[in-house]
Amino acid sequence: MVTKKQKRINWILVAVLLVLSIFFLFPVIWMLANSFKPDAAITADMNSIAAFIPPAPDGSFFDNYVQIITNTSFLRYMVNTLLYAAILIVLSIVVNGLAGYALAKIRFPFRDQWLMIIIMLLIVPTETVITIHFLIIAKAGLLNTIVGYILPLIVNPFNIFLFRQVFVSLPDDVYEAAQLDFCGPVKYFFTMVLPMSKTVVATVSVFTFLNVWNDYLWPSLVFTSSDLLTAQIGLNSITSNENTTMGQTLAVITLITIPVIIIYSLFSKQIVEGVTSTGSKEG
Amino acid sequence: MSFIEFKNVCKRYPGSDKNTVDNFTLDIEEKEFIAFVGPSGCGKSTTLRMIAGFEEITGGELYIDGKKMNEVAPRDRGISMVFQNYALYPHMTVEKNIGYGLKNMKMPSDQIKQKVDWAIKVLGLEEYRYRKPKNLSGGQRQRVALGRAIVKNSKVFLMDEPLSNLDAKLRVSMRTEISKLHRQIGATTIYVTHDQVEAMTMADRIVIMKDGVIQQVGRPMELYDHPVNQFVAGFIGSPQMNFFDVTVDNGTVRFSDGSTMTLSEGMLKKLNGRQGEMVLGIRGEDIKMDAQNMELNNENMQHAVITDTEVMGNENNLYFNFGGSQAVARVSKYEISQIGDRVNFVFMPSKMHFFDKETGVNYTEAV
Repeated sequence: MVTKKQKRINWILVAVLLVLSIFFLFPVIWMLANSFKPDAAITADMNSIAAFIPPAPDGSFFDNYVQIITNTSFLRYMVNTLLYAAILIVLSIVVNGLAGYALAKIRFPFRDQWLMIIIMLLIVPTETVITIHFLIIAKAGLLNTIVGYILPLIVNPFNIFLFRQVFVSLPDDVYEAAQLDFCGPVKYFFTMVLPMSKTVVATVSVFTFLNVWNDYLWPSLVFTSSDLLTAQIGLNSITSNENTTMGQTLAVITLITIPVIIIYSLFSKQIVEGVTSTGSKEG
Repeated sequence: MSFIEFKNVCKRYPGSDKNTVDNFTLDIEEKEFIAFVGPSGCGKSTTLRMIAGFEEITGGELYIDGKKMNEVAPRDRGISMVFQNYALYPHMTVEKNIGYGLKNMKMPSDQIKQKVDWAIKVLGLEEYRYRKPKNLSGGQRQRVALGRAIVKNSKVFLMDEPLSNLDAKLRVSMRTEISKLHRQIGATTIYVTHDQVEAMTMADRIVIMKDGVIQQVGRPMELYDHPVNQFVAGFIGSPQMNFFDVTVDNGTVRFSDGSTMTLSEGMLKKLNGRQGEMVLGIRGEDIKMDAQNMELNNENMQHAVITDTEVMGNENNLYFNFGGSQAVARVSKYEISQIGDRVNFVFMPSKMHFFDKETGVNYTEAV
């Protein structure tokens, strides 16, 4: 039973968290409110509370968004990124999942040492290997191709570790029962292991999506053709264009934020579970 | 040739200097229900897993239906298994769990449906057909696991402590269900349990194991009445057989507290002249407190004070100290005694067992 004292503490905590959330939310609210305004109105409202209030809806309410969608290729960049994310999610689950399964359930020489190496790789920052990735992809003639972009991103030590941690706790007798039910190892992985590990599959999918969606450096190195660009690079090229207004800049930033917010709100439970189940977080 | 044959089967794990299962030799007939019992770590589950093919056989040979199975993959052995923790597929419904093996066997879907319907009906799972395992009780889950085993028409059923996670009442009803299923289907069944009551009530024959070695194989009453050693005598039966350190000398048994008993002619014949320090064993129901038995064995009547009682409903267990040990007598519900009561009793002369103090061998059973 909750005592009066505990109740009071809970209320204080709620109040503190509310203030903190407002503190973190106010740039987002400001961005959203001003993305519907022309530049003159943004400047006029800058020093008042009106900076956080969207204008009254009229015929020009969505002008900034319409301009971005019709006059730039931003929508295409977003579709490109969604496509890359979808491909990478599937490949990440299959490749990292199989590696995690091997490390969790299959006995082979130096298995623990392999796991140690993979754990050690977690501390290597992406930036340190990106030059090597670039040289390999360039040498293979895969620059400015989707394959060249995707290939180095498939294997991810963090995802392997995440899968391994979950798979290691799967009961062995289910595999034995499946064997007696004429289920081979590959079929077992796809029809049993993955459906039994929905949480980690969701976590890896979310992390992979966010990595692809937020990545700027790697796509900017691989892609030169504007047809293949990702949303982050598109954002940079649009906002650095001197003809783009402040309102349009805020509209494009809002657009790029929407998928991330949707993903976080839909999968927040899985993200928390995925991170807490490993006792670590993605670097 | 027997249906399942073990020929000196051994199992030794890497890094171990002794066999977990040692020289296991046994013949199991077709349609037989056989139970492996023994304390934890005796090798019974390992033996079962060797039959299934989940554990490698490191020595000896295993034959099922005349075919050597040492190198055969589990799926090709023609067996079904029910696991201790059910091992159901958590993301599949009851219906899909039961039909999964048939689907993988590429059986036509109408036949799968027919078989699954039959299993669901036999096991009384009609109303749970579309539920997932997490929404079932322990007993229902165990029935699904049984259903998964019976639909495949396997000739051998392996059951690894299938009732150990169920409560006492459910265990009793599931025991009956499994026995009924066995009679109905007629598959050769090997049942592993540490519960001797399960083994006694269900099995045609029981294999008692200790430290990876078979101690005795026999029909339940054969093991109960004629244990070959002190381990079997102590393992089978509840309450456990009473044991006393005694000295046998010239037809007289002397207990460590100085009490004495005279042995019958029949018992002396069984002992075949053996004398000296031994362990006397007698079951609780063979310690008699009624007037008729007292009169018949008047010269061997003993006395003790009741230290504890257990009222079981149909009978009473009376505990008392005698011969330097605590003993328990199983008497009828009409023989009422209270703690502190002084009682007279006799040991049934023909029901005593004498075990070697070192090896535990039962001298009174011809080996």
